[in-house]
Amino acid sequence: MSTCKSAARISTAVRPPTLLSGSLIQPTLLPRIHCRHESTTRRHKKLLTVQQAPSYAPTRPEPTLIFNPPSSAPSAFHTPLKFLPANDKRRALYASFLSTSTARAHRTATSPVAAPGTPLSTSSLLPPRPSASLPPPLRQPYEKKYHLTDVEIKEIQRLRKEDPERWTRVRLAEKFGCSQFFVGMVAKNQEKAAKVSSEHERSRARWGEMRREARHERERRKELWGRDA
Amino acid sequence: MKRIRISSCATPSLAPSAARRPLCPYAAALHRTIAPHNHRIQARFQTTAAVEEFGGQKIEIETPAFKTEKTRSPSRRPHRHVTPEHMPSPHPYEANQSIKLSALRARLSLPQRFPLQTLARTLVHPSADPDPAFNNASLSILGGNLLSYYTSEHLLCNYPRLPMEVVFAATEAYVGPRALAIVASEWGIEAAAEPGGEVEPGLLQFKRLKPGEGIPAALRKQVPWKWNVTQTHRIVATDEFGSHNAPPTPQSLANVPVPMEEAAQSFVRALVGSLHLHLGAPLVKRFFKSHFLSRHLDLSDMFDFRTPTRDLSRLCAREGFEAPVARLISETGRLSRHPVFIVGIYSGKDKLGEGAGASLEEARFRAAAASLKAWYLYRPLDATVPSSMEGELDTTKWKPNMIDCGEVIV
Repeated sequence: MSTCKSAARISTAVRPPTLLSGSLIQPTLLPRIHCRHESTTRRHKKLLTVQQAPSYAPTRPEPTLIFNPPSSAPSAFHTPLKFLPANDKRRALYASFLSTSTARAHRTATSPVAAPGTPLSTSSLLPPRPSASLPPPLRQPYEKKYHLTDVEIKEIQRLRKEDPERWTRVRLAEKFGCSQFFVGMVAKNQEKAAKVSSEHERSRARWGEMRREARHERERRKELWGRDA
Repeated sequence: MKRIRISSCATPSLAPSAARRPLCPYAAALHRTIAPHNHRIQARFQTTAAVEEFGGQKIEIETPAFKTEKTRSPSRRPHRHVTPEHMPSPHPYEANQSIKLSALRARLSLPQRFPLQTLARTLVHPSADPDPAFNNASLSILGGNLLSYYTSEHLLCNYPRLPMEVVFAATEAYVGPRALAIVASEWGIEAAAEPGGEVEPGLLQFKRLKPGEGIPAALRKQVPWKWNVTQTHRIVATDEFGSHNAPPTPQSLANVPVPMEEAAQSFVRALVGSLHLHLGAPLVKRFFKSHFLSRHLDLSDMFDFRTPTRDLSRLCAREGFEAPVARLISETGRLSRHPVFIVGIYSGKDKLGEGAGASLEEARFRAAAASLKAWYLYRPLDATVPSSMEGELDTTKWKPNMIDCGEVIV
């Protein structure tokens, strides 16, 4: 916190070249960036004060209930709407909540045109519903094609058998427009697989202590992902 | 101010003269030794020091009528020639004078009609006393079955989609041996240094392991029931925890040194069994709810996914949803050393789950795992467990429970 603040101060406290010393350039002992240090306890303390969360500041004079939970992962015990059985009462509750909250948001929200200083090009329509805009996907969703016929599968097997060095899984997958996993499924070459794994084994044997430890630790951490630890 | 006579508060069913069918053989044998309620109240005025003062001779609080009554004495009635030191476990006769047992009964809020003799019997492990009429083996089998029944019905009715692995793990976490041992220690159960007839009956009686001794063969990991253990086999053939080998039989633990955990869990099970016999199922259900289901267990922590993305797309295909798509909700510091990505998994326009990670791959993986958890941890709003309808004539309150078609199999 304090480092960020002081860094910001450094950047803003660049002294502009003054006209007084412009004609006679003298070497100065001051650093080029003259900054003011947090030399006193009071200034250090002041830096540590965090702005109060807006929900903590009551808007009304009478005592109110403050609900400001820290951000956290959603509980696994909240079953999403899709996972509820057809006869569960929560389906109707969720649906009615969604419709009322959307209606209220549309009723209370004002069009951006109403605010002063809005450019005229702004659309006067309200923003779209939150459910309509989904976050971007990690990988572009794709449809499974199931386009390979028996003839092509025979061809894949023949190529892989004839020259496994040339027709690797990657090349076959590119040529036939399928996944490498599918190539491995229909045309697995045991000798090539054994050769590749022995090569990997040999290169793993050359690892030093630190790299082996690090890889081992990474595998152990990966196991914890599924345990949510 | 008028004083209520304590004897008038006692229910007639507590009086020993009432012709009541004894509920367990132990109680039958001890039928004569149960002091009437009004007399037991007077025993409160006896201090511990006063009892000790008399040494081997115990204070008799019974009425003369009891003493003179000619009965066939039970097999373990202390005769002149059998000293308590020669008995394997304390005589049930001494349970009424035990302060620890009364305190335990009060601590567990058990009603006064639950006999202290039975409470004392639940504390005797087969390793201390191999006689099945005096140890807790039979009660512990009954209690174990009740505990697993109530736990599994709670889990299956409230979380109908849980995978079987998680059901097994959750059952073990609720009523497994270790959990029961912890419950016993929370109740303040203390163990006797060495079992015997002369020790306080309020202590847990079992033969202790000597330091440096390994655990006995019956408790050690054995050859599994079957070598090709499938999930179906675990459901059909094994116990409620889906364990690989059979639990030890009480006969195999007779006079064998056992760890404290084994003895403590047998006590808790036996206590539940004896509560069922003496007080009936409704009270046991309440006891189970307040002492076992009230323990916090986070079911969402019990999952371990290896290929969540593949499982999720399989699930969506099975249920007829649109194929899941990972979308980047927000990110920070992509070019820094510690980036954070928040990825959501969407099916159509619905968000199924959300995950944060230091790489896009990690965030996607975690989001898929969160979506699968959201599926598996579905909880119906109003689940009625089958045991809640036991003995009910009005069946309109019963709602059929949801049964899911099962976990995702890839």
